[in-house]
Amino acid sequence: MFLSRRLTGKYASLWVSLLAILMTLAAASILLLAMGKNPLIAFRSFLQGCGMIPKENYGGGSGMLTDLLDFLNYLAPLILASLAFIAAFKAGLFNIGIAGQMLLSGFTATVLVGYNKGLSAVVAKPLVLLIGLLVGGMTGALIGWLKYRFNIHEVVSTIMLNYIISYLTGFFINNNYVDMMTRNSKVCSPDSRLTLTNIMIGDLKCKIPLGLIIAILIALLVSFLFRKTVLGFEIKAVGQNRRCSEYTGIRVNRTILLSMGLSGAIAGLAGVAYYLGYTNTIIPKTLPGMGYDSISVALLGSGAPIGSIFAAIVVSVFQQGANYMSSTVGVAKEIASLITGILLLFASCGNYMKYKAARKMQLAADLRRTGGKEAKAL
Amino acid sequence: MNKVFTDGLSFALPLLIIAVGALYSEKSGVTNLAAEGFQGVGAFFGALAATLLGPVMGNGNQAIIYIAILCAAIGGALFSLIHGLLCIRFRANQVISGVVINILAVALTAFFTSAANSAISGNASNKFVLDVSTRFTIPLLSSIPWIGGIFTDMYPFEIMIAVLVVFLWYLLNRTRFGMRLRACGENPQAVDAAGANVNRIRWVAVMISGALCGIGGICFAYSMIGNFSPSIYQGFGYLAIAAMIFGNWKIGPTTLACLIFGLAKSGGLQLCIAAKLPSNYMDLFLMLPYILTLLLLVFFSKKNHPPKAAGEPFDKSKR
Repeated sequence: MFLSRRLTGKYASLWVSLLAILMTLAAASILLLAMGKNPLIAFRSFLQGCGMIPKENYGGGSGMLTDLLDFLNYLAPLILASLAFIAAFKAGLFNIGIAGQMLLSGFTATVLVGYNKGLSAVVAKPLVLLIGLLVGGMTGALIGWLKYRFNIHEVVSTIMLNYIISYLTGFFINNNYVDMMTRNSKVCSPDSRLTLTNIMIGDLKCKIPLGLIIAILIALLVSFLFRKTVLGFEIKAVGQNRRCSEYTGIRVNRTILLSMGLSGAIAGLAGVAYYLGYTNTIIPKTLPGMGYDSISVALLGSGAPIGSIFAAIVVSVFQQGANYMSSTVGVAKEIASLITGILLLFASCGNYMKYKAARKMQLAADLRRTGGKEAKAL
Repeated sequence: MNKVFTDGLSFALPLLIIAVGALYSEKSGVTNLAAEGFQGVGAFFGALAATLLGPVMGNGNQAIIYIAILCAAIGGALFSLIHGLLCIRFRANQVISGVVINILAVALTAFFTSAANSAISGNASNKFVLDVSTRFTIPLLSSIPWIGGIFTDMYPFEIMIAVLVVFLWYLLNRTRFGMRLRACGENPQAVDAAGANVNRIRWVAVMISGALCGIGGICFAYSMIGNFSPSIYQGFGYLAIAAMIFGNWKIGPTTLACLIFGLAKSGGLQLCIAAKLPSNYMDLFLMLPYILTLLLLVFFSKKNHPPKAAGEPFDKSKR
């Protein structure tokens, strides 16, 4: 009854997310127990790997703060990617191609700015962001255009584009920009990177993720867009009932194009924050797994831009802490993706949880009104 | 030239069985983007069975392949229950459910492959190595000029899939079960009024879909890749869905679409080899099926007729 009231109340979405997280932790615990490991130690290691709880010992020049900043460095593109998913999702569109859009914009920015040693940091960093916005936005708009002009389902077209982008950039990297030692693309110049490296705080060598500032800014912007602006309202209207929006005079085609373009543009920002901030190099022919994690984040945050920041923190803890957890507990680090998958599974049942809770409340209300006779007869 | 047909068919037929699987689910009114996940998990179960049986039945025993295919079908059907649970029972958004299934499939198989490998051999590798399927050539037909390649170096499963698809066409279009299944995707309320159980038919359709995708997955694992590893997730499922849309949710045209993809893929590769380009350029030719898919969809998506009720959970009280 306590839960039903929460699930039908004002903060229902928050409670659904909390419930999904709890159920995931329970499922993960069962899995870990079945493998003969202690779940509590595993969960503590996840947090330790992210710099949220101090580890037993640290190497020279690193500490809890370094781990935390590394975690934030990973968090920034994930928040952006999930915002990208939300921007399209509000219009009823599924941007499964975030991974591809990230890769294409990251690749373009790397080639145009990252390898251009002549640019100073003041010019290079804004230029990187601009390229991310433009390349991602154009890819997104292309998908929107294919959707309304030719009726191609966006899920199919984004997946096809993902593979095309992956092979195409892989081809150019292998042909022109490969680092013979690592078999990845050459690293970009420090001036173009969105992460400041080798900053000394005390005696710790730290990375400062500038992408996080952009991510939070964009989250506020997207939140503002959907709460206060006409365009945001139109996007939501199209998402809920396309035909009705058309009758009320909303230009549906334009709205689809804009929301998909917006989604792509934010995905582009995520791409530059990932490739020119977090990794600093591109593995050829590999799409970032973050493109799919962003869907878990967006669903867990129940489509709310600010909520997705917190959801991103939860998912990042698993992804980023997996390495340390693997070293202490000895479970393959693939378990992080498995936990994310289970989280996604429970988060997608959110509507059913709300529906069940509403039914239960209704039944209880009926019981009270009739004194229990009729309801029992049913 | 012969090689184009031989390789093209061995790619097109597993793709076709996945596409028909997706089609069964969509025709019953359950949108199926989960084909990618189904085929991967199906292949995982098949490969696991083959790995376990290998030492018992003797390596190189061809019977293992058929048992693996059977296990893949069962595994795919079992895994598809999650999709059914989300879409039919929990009324989740069906596109989201499909994406969830795909993500879960990749994570599950990666995790359990290394877990199973470390349990069996003590070495946590992320792949199951499979035997090579024997190939055969039909004597007279293979010497026909031009199209002889179709009957050269065939995998046994190609014949199996071809027979299965004909049977599935019959089941969908000429039987009472098939008609009800199709009606569930167009007007489920009418099916309900006629006294059939819509949700039960949808459950069956989703499970058939999972089984067929699983068969497709293990056939890919046996023919193209030669092992089971994360490389099974190359987008075959999505390509199959594209073929199904391009085939306008009909088995006949879908077969044609799959053949076009298969021939485009093998043709591109042979072209690359014939032109003696460096191996880097292979990537450009590997893009061909995906580009072709997009282009074909541009021309054929407009006048498509998807099942009307696909994507909507059945609600008895609606009209």
